Order: sequence, then C-alpha cells, then structure tokens
Amino acid sequence: MSSTVPTLSVAPATEPRRVWKRPPSAFILGAIITAGFLLAAIAPGLLAPYDPLAFDYDNLQVGPGAAHWFGTDNFGRDVLSRIIWASRIDIQIALFCTIPPLLIGTAVGSLVGYYGGIADTIFGRIVDLVITFPFIVLVIAIVAVLGPGLVNVYIAVTSVGWVFYARLVRSQVMVLRQADFAAAGQVMGYSAARIIFRHLLPNAMTAVIVYWMTDMALDILLGSSLGYLGLGAQPPTAEWGVLVSDGKNFMDTAWWMTVFPGAAIVVCGTGLSLLGDGVADLLAVRR
Amino acid sequence: MRAPLLLLRGLQTTLATDNGALTVVDGVDLDVREGEILGLVGESGSGKSMTLRSILRLIRPPGRVSGEILWRGRDLVPLREPEMRAIRGREIGMIFQEPMTALNPVLSVGRQILENLRAHTDLGRTARRNRTVELLDLVGIPAAAQRVNDYPHQFSGGMRQRAMIAIALASNPSLLLADEPTTALDVTIQDQILKLLLRLRETLGMAVILVTHDLGVVAQSCDRVAVMYAGRVAEIGEVSAVFAAPRHAYTLGLLQSVPDARRIRQALRPIGGAPPPPGTVGDRCAFIPRCDFATAACEVRRPPLISIGGGRLAACVHGDRLQQAEWAA
Repeated sequence: MSSTVPTLSVAPATEPRRVWKRPPSAFILGAIITAGFLLAAIAPGLLAPYDPLAFDYDNLQVGPGAAHWFGTDNFGRDVLSRIIWASRIDIQIALFCTIPPLLIGTAVGSLVGYYGGIADTIFGRIVDLVITFPFIVLVIAIVAVLGPGLVNVYIAVTSVGWVFYARLVRSQVMVLRQADFAAAGQVMGYSAARIIFRHLLPNAMTAVIVYWMTDMALDILLGSSLGYLGLGAQPPTAEWGVLVSDGKNFMDTAWWMTVFPGAAIVVCGTGLSLLGDGVADLLAVRR
Repeated sequence: MRAPLLLLRGLQTTLATDNGALTVVDGVDLDVREGEILGLVGESGSGKSMTLRSILRLIRPPGRVSGEILWRGRDLVPLREPEMRAIRGREIGMIFQEPMTALNPVLSVGRQILENLRAHTDLGRTARRNRTVELLDLVGIPAAAQRVNDYPHQFSGGMRQRAMIAIALASNPSLLLADEPTTALDVTIQDQILKLLLRLRETLGMAVILVTHDLGVVAQSCDRVAVMYAGRVAEIGEVSAVFAAPRHAYTLGLLQSVPDARRIRQALRPIGGAPPPPGTVGDRCAFIPRCDFATAACEVRRPPLISIGGGRLAACVHGDRLQQAEWAA
C-alpha cells in the first residue's frame, strides 16, 4: 500500500504562467494622464518653462502663444508653469486626503466586519450620522471651525472620509469571514489578526483600491473647490482652485487664466477615474 | 491495543438559534487511537461535522461545547483561546469538503503552506521554503517546485484537495480531521485522495477521523467506524465486523440502503422517514419512528452505548434480534 504513490497523471504545465492580457485602453489613457501629473508633481522644475512666481511687468495678461503656451496672468506669471507647480499641491491633496482615511477605514472596517456585535452597532450609528450630511458640507463645517489651510482640510477630510472606506471594507469582510478559508485559517490555529489582515483583507482590497482611485479624483475637485472658496491652499501657493479663483475676475479680458487651470482639474480627475475603471477591469479579469 | 489519542466523553454541543438552543451533538462518546483511521458516518444533520468542529472548539459563542474532550489526557473544553490556537493546526489538523472555497483565492498555494509553517514552527526562511516544496511533493503534486507559486484557481479539484492536505500537514499534526474530503471530487480522484490519506497515515503515523456519508469510502479506508444518528453515536466497531453484522437498527438500515452493483434494476431500499429535528428526541432511542424493530423497551430511556464484545459498542436494545432479521429481509 505504502509503495503506491498516487500522483496525478497531468503533465506539469510548462507554458508561461502569467498570460498578460493587453490592459483596456481606458486604463492606458488613465495611466498616461496620471503619470504625467505625477511627473509634474515630482519634478515641476524640469517641466515648467518659467519660474511660477516671477513677475514680468512687460508681459501682463499675454494670451496663449509661442512664448507662453497658456498665456500669462495679471502679474505676468506664466500660467503653464503655475499649473505645473500647482500639480504638486493637488497631487499632495489627492494623496493626503485619501491615504489616512483608507488606512483608518480599512482597519476599522475589517475589525467591525469580523467581530460584529456591539462595535458593529456603534459603527452603524456613526455611519448614519456621517452620511446624513452631504460630504462637502461636513468638510466645510469642520474647516470653518479649524480655520482655513491645507492641513486642516486633510484633518477634516480624514475625519469624515474614513467612514466610506470602513463601510466598504466592513461589508466585504462580513461576507469573507463566512468563507471556508476563514474557517480553515481558524482551524490552522491562526490568530484573529492574522486571519483578518493576511487572509481576508487581500480579498477585500479590490473594491477599496478602485474606490480609492475615484476618491482621489473627487478630493482633487474638493481641494480645488475649497481653494476657490479660500478655505484650502492660501493664495501665494499655486493650486488649481486658487488659480481659477484668481482668474475669475478677468474672465472677459484673460480667459486663459481660468480655463487652463480648470482644464487641468478636469483632465487630472478624468485620468484618475479612467485609471480607477481600468484597474477595476484588470482586477475583475484576474478573478 | 494502541493507546487512545483522543477521548470524547459526553460531548454535547448546543447552538443558539432564533428558536432557542439546539443540541446538535448530544452526548457523544468516542475514542481515537494513535495512527488509526476512524470513519464517522451518518445522514446529513446527524452531527458528524459538528462533532469535528466541537473537537477543535470552533463553535462561535453563544454556541456551547460541554462534556470532556481529552486530547492526550488533557481536557480541551476549559482551555482558553490562545491555548486552543496552539493545538489547532499544530497538533490537530483539519481539511474540508470543498477545496475550492477552503483555499484563499488571492494567496498562492505555497504562501498558504508557508503561513502554517510560520504560525507553528520555528523554521527559518529558506527551511520554510524547502519544507513547502517537500510538502507539495509529499501529497503528490507533480513538479512541486514550479507549482508553489501557483494560485488555487490554477489547480484542478483533486490538486486543490491535495494542497489543502499539504497545508494541514505542514506542522505534522498527530490527528487529522477530514470533513468529507472526497465528496466534491469524482470517483477516480476520490480514490487517489483516499490512498494518499492511507499512505500519509502509514508514513507519518497520523490518526485520521474521516467524516463521510459514503459507506464505500469507509469500507475502503477505515480501521474502525462510528455510526452517528441524531447527534448520538449508534454503534462503533471494526469496519469489517460492523458491516458484516450490524448491531444497531440504524446501521442495518444504512447498509441495506446501499445499492448492490451486481444486481440490475433493483428497487432502492431507503430508510423511510427523516431524521428527527435536533432537540426533539428526549430520553429515548432517537431512531424509534423509523425503526422496524422498535418496541416499548426502546421508549423507556435513551439506550446507553454498551460494549457487546470484540471492542464493539452499540446503543440498541434489539442488537440480538437484528442478526436474525438481517438476511431474511
């Protein structure tokens, strides 16, 4: 009996394991746009043709042309350079407004989803409380209390935004904890923390990552809106919302001061959304 | 006789439901000896799987496990969760019916074996990697070294069950709880997996509790068999002896319900009726409503599981009458 080694009569697969499917074109376009803005954020000095803060009184509100592709503003500053330097702030907003909520929300969501009980009930009430108010109203209220400025925007967005990640993760973990492999983990004698964070979470992260991409786009929009309202980045700092706000008084004489920063917001937001969609497709294919 | 590894005494498992407490395992006495394969058979809902889960104390509160679970002489029932975790996976392993869902779809198979090694052994990084390949090899995965990084969906059903076994074996458990490990597989793969379990028992000296509702599987692979009905043990004994001369009316019914492959177009002989809902039996034999042999004596009290010689135990008042009736039927 012991000599008969039962092995499967299947030839070992020799062909390449991972067959890379061509990513959807939405993903490619989104990735290119996002990469462009990331590059601008990392090395604005390399891309920007002019110093974004240098006044040039000989070239006030010059329209788009060969010397200044996007024109100049009312102080003669190059709009393109200002937009490029502003990406640094806006990408920072996208990351700082999403990563802390993502981390906090994932941790809280997985714990309440796994353990349920009284913690879950309390969490449910907090969710109800937060989603009763429109997101932006709540954020503006908190920023109004803390005072304007980017750091306070981050605090405000984090204190509200984690709820959405937590809700997402909670529902996923609640389903996953019923899965056989969760029981299997328990049977192997793994600790609850190990089961939650190493075995369940990787299964829940797909939805979180897709939401995160979209959330970044929304937070850029939010950061720009707050900048426009004077609650976010403060005027000497170049930020897209601030640029739009600066330009709005000259809409009839120098449209390029508003249109190009506005376009930057739209393009960057679209890029991130496309990337998010593409990532969702890729992850769906892998399943 | 080999020493008992695991002794269950009066094991009782109660689950809390919306309609009150349900006793799904109702006073089970069982012993598992070092290196033996014990079959646990019975209809769906007879408490086979719940017995396994109770041994590892996997019953979520407010469900409760009471009685005694003596593992190498140490009672597991009062143990705290961290102490229990050191036994789960390390001393007692478990495999499941559906290898498809019991493996984590987003972690590679090798990774899942590594996890167990990390949790239960103090092997170093390279030693763990080597052991992982070794384990996959041991359970008969061809080209193990290349397949460690594969994900469960790249494995076939039989290979997944092998991988599952490899994970459970990672820390050399002395007892493997196998919850219908072959039910989801087709017969040829089923045969391979059973042979694998037999071989592992030989080479690793590991005891196995094999839950199944397939009497053919029991006949092929078990040393002893315990028949369960309505959360109670009806009969235990050597497989050949039990199958040759059942001493509990339920066992007889089960054996008679197996179609005989040598005869064509025979009528199926099912046991009429259905098992009683948990917690409705009371202090009498649970099988009475479906039993051809039932008399007033069965109503008096719950028949105790008593020794009837040859290492066999049965909980039937009419054990003797069965033998005469058996082949007359």
